[in-house]
Amino acid sequence: MTDLSSLTAADIRDGIAAKEFSAREVADAAFARVEALEPQVRAFNQLTPELAEKAANRIDAMVAAGEKLPPLAGVPAGIKDNMNLVGTRTTCSSRILADYQSAYDCTAVRRLLDAGALPVGKCNLDEFAFGSSTENSAFGPTRNPWDLERVPGGSSGGSAACVAAGMATVSLGSDTGGSIRQPGALTGTVAMKPTYGRVSRYGCVAFASSLDQIGPFTRSVRDSALVLNAIAGKDDMDATSVTQSVPDFTAGLDDGVKGLRVGIVRDMLELEGLAPEIKASVEAAAARFAALGAEVDDVDIPAARHGLSAYYIIGPAEASSNLARFDGIRYGHRVDDASDVLDLYMRSRAEGFGPESIRRIMLGTYVLSAGYYDAYYGQAQKARTLIIEDFAKAFESYDVLLTPTTPEVAFKIGEKSTDPLAMYLSDVFTIPLNLAGLPGVSMPCGFSRGLPVGLQLIGRHFDEATMLRAAAALEADLALDMTPATVRSLKA
Amino acid sequence: MAKDRLTEVLERYEAVIGLEIHTELTSLNSKMFCGCPVEFGGEPNTRVCPVCLGMPGALPVPNEAAVEATVLAGLAVNCDIALWSQFHRKQYFYPDMPKDYQISQYDLPFCSGGYLDVEVEGDAVCERVDRSGDDEYTTRIGVTRIHLEEDTGKMVHVGGSEGRIAGAEKSLVDFNRAGTPLMELVTEPDIRTPEEARRFAQKLRLIIVTLGVSDCSMEEGSMRVDGNVSVRLRGQTELGTKSEIKNMNSFKALHDALAFEIVRQADMLDAGEQVVQETRHWDVGAKRTSSLRSKEEAHDYRYFPEPDMVPFAFTEQWVQSIADRLPELPDAMRERFMATWDLQKYDATVLTSDLAMAEFYEAAIAQAGAGRAKTVANVMINDLSAHLNAAGITMDESAVKPAMVAELVGLVDDGAISGKQAKAVFSEMVETGEMPSAIVEARGMKQVSDTGAIEAVVDAVLAANPDEVASYKEGKTSLVGWFVGQVMREMRGQGNPQVVNQVLKDKLGG
Ligand SMILES: [Zn+2]
Repeated sequence: MTDLSSLTAADIRDGIAAKEFSAREVADAAFARVEALEPQVRAFNQLTPELAEKAANRIDAMVAAGEKLPPLAGVPAGIKDNMNLVGTRTTCSSRILADYQSAYDCTAVRRLLDAGALPVGKCNLDEFAFGSSTENSAFGPTRNPWDLERVPGGSSGGSAACVAAGMATVSLGSDTGGSIRQPGALTGTVAMKPTYGRVSRYGCVAFASSLDQIGPFTRSVRDSALVLNAIAGKDDMDATSVTQSVPDFTAGLDDGVKGLRVGIVRDMLELEGLAPEIKASVEAAAARFAALGAEVDDVDIPAARHGLSAYYIIGPAEASSNLARFDGIRYGHRVDDASDVLDLYMRSRAEGFGPESIRRIMLGTYVLSAGYYDAYYGQAQKARTLIIEDFAKAFESYDVLLTPTTPEVAFKIGEKSTDPLAMYLSDVFTIPLNLAGLPGVSMPCGFSRGLPVGLQLIGRHFDEATMLRAAAALEADLALDMTPATVRSLKA
Repeated sequence: MAKDRLTEVLERYEAVIGLEIHTELTSLNSKMFCGCPVEFGGEPNTRVCPVCLGMPGALPVPNEAAVEATVLAGLAVNCDIALWSQFHRKQYFYPDMPKDYQISQYDLPFCSGGYLDVEVEGDAVCERVDRSGDDEYTTRIGVTRIHLEEDTGKMVHVGGSEGRIAGAEKSLVDFNRAGTPLMELVTEPDIRTPEEARRFAQKLRLIIVTLGVSDCSMEEGSMRVDGNVSVRLRGQTELGTKSEIKNMNSFKALHDALAFEIVRQADMLDAGEQVVQETRHWDVGAKRTSSLRSKEEAHDYRYFPEPDMVPFAFTEQWVQSIADRLPELPDAMRERFMATWDLQKYDATVLTSDLAMAEFYEAAIAQAGAGRAKTVANVMINDLSAHLNAAGITMDESAVKPAMVAELVGLVDDGAISGKQAKAVFSEMVETGEMPSAIVEARGMKQVSDTGAIEAVVDAVLAANPDEVASYKEGKTSLVGWFVGQVMREMRGQGNPQVVNQVLKDKLGG
């Protein structure tokens, strides 16, 4: 009997179409895996078996009626719990929204489900996506399926962990500074942040509006392309989504990298604090690209070194504004004994937000204050412009760029939670892409002490296709077995 | 407030006034950043959606028609249109503001650097002490900027007095208005008298109504005027401390509140006191301003560029395409009325002071003919305006239609009815909405101008009053009026007075 939880999205759809198994059976397998692993992994804030069952029945009815199946028919999907879906709570892993019922559907989620996916549940995250470990969740941390003592990364840790553990075949995350790619690297999944504007942000609770982008976690590059096919494209509800035509991202995926110009971002590879095994894995991957016929050379993105500081001004500035609406007036946590409106605001928010949210709100409020705006926000925007220019220059000579995804593999729960600055460094390689609006994908490229190592491929604006083609070529060449320990132990 | 108290103060002090005028773009189909309809009132929280309620994850999408309306308004008041502009977030917490920030504009508004020329004439000139010798004057008021933003919801305070927050037990919020497109115009501090402020606001209102983007109802709050006012001794160049006046819900309130505030500030300075920079509330009942909050509580709004929207890049061609849509503006229309129909400035001003009035006039002329332009104007300015004022209704609500006025004027002009009969016909027309000819017919009011018929009556009257005829012939010619009266009585008022007069003179004088 096929292990339905290990199949790719493409295999699931084809298997259902060929009547090898039903969508209902795929859903049951996913929830069986949830039953087996979720108690340890804790990837979900809420499970949605009824929604999944309904969706599966609809797919099975289509099969019975001989209809053509949509591209993600019967594919179990996790949804980061900062995206609205009617019939579910959207908590952002925060006390302030613990009981918040979605009032409408997030566009990307709607598109994913319209493509036939089965919603397994809402995935845990660092509160409001503030963090790199999923430890900042009001509902407790998610654990890494490769080592339950370790973090899955964050903020989309639940989305990463559920796909790694086979509780879902694909999932949606959101990435503001690395929140898809970093947990992707730490869990050995394929994790893509599309170009800013490629996917509608409507319905995804905003962290930093100019940086946020929704993208997929999958266990194969082809699945990543399939999910992007489903969720990409202009949405009239998001003024920053672009009208740019959406190609079929699976087309040409297997065309190889012959003649492709791959730039190794050398100054990132030489960064102090980068684990030697990660550096070695990325160098080895670069060598494989060369062996596959790509033209590989070094390139520098000097302005990227300003990325982290610019990000920790722009991100909190926008976040402080975006989180103002959680005020206890219309929805969310509200103290019931407020003496006046100010008291209501202050105590509802103090009780509702966790420490990292409060830290970012204060940071953001400070940098936007009168007299500080130019010194902080203004400077950060200038740094952002420099980063955009440096990438643009690099892309004059290269088709894709190559960096590590993270400086370290998955760290232990609690290891960095008292040191925000050390935590912030987790995103040093991913942040510059958000500032520049560029697409990036993290994919497994090896192991360090039994834990997955990820590399990041960066594409030109709206050229996810070339980036994915390079990723697919390396994936086929490396042919890594990315089954985590917890899943192996189930099979044993 | 007695006007002479204000003018007395203005002889010693110069007032410096700037206005901030918010106009809801009520004529648009949808709100500023979502698809909800723009309408006044309604069941609370029925015209809302995730976007205008600030639900988690909802995003604003700018209403292009609102942007165009703002640019149109900017062009109408001679502004420069920025080819690069942007929305900003203005941040402060308030329960009627769903996102706890208002999407507004900061340093990159759509329109800047415009002006309006405002005319003041008649008694109102006296407020402008340095021009009090003139019959009228024109002054140019600079328009600093016009920008676009979203309106807030409305708070309802329950359990307190008069719906004010003080003493209220709880507060409710209605978000129907939240997100309504709101255009804010800021003037330069070029205004020197309350009358100029009123004239500016009235003229701006007329222009915006003419543009068809708002109903500009001060009562319903779709046009809201706030004023910044300070005073300084004449000859002094430094500005005095200003106060900001809110809650001026009519043009009269605007004038009276500014007049009160000028005198209040001058009295303080006279008494050796300091004016405090603060926001003050106009109490229309008490006819005074009172302090709302002082400057110490002023907010740091932490403006920053709205990241949910891309900046606006306009081309010259696009701006020109908006300019091509500008309708005839009130000043131009007045010039045209004066030139085309030979109207006095006063008459043309009255007729173009209200778009419905102007349209009515033109429709009536189209039927009555250009030769009757003046008489039509007279009926409208005297009778129709008085009727509308007395009934407290608008032109649209009146039963009187252009065709009726045109016909009425024609009946008088042709001598079919007398001027006096016309007044009676008008009164009935206002009530019934009947055409004048039908009223004249039904009431048998036709004026008799037939000389033969009148001669017969005149002969009878002269024959019946030989003593008076004798007196007249002896030189008491003033008796002619008495004879006219007798003839008209015989004819039940339907004789054409001019013909009667002529026939009488012919018969008496030989
Ligand atoms: Zn709405």
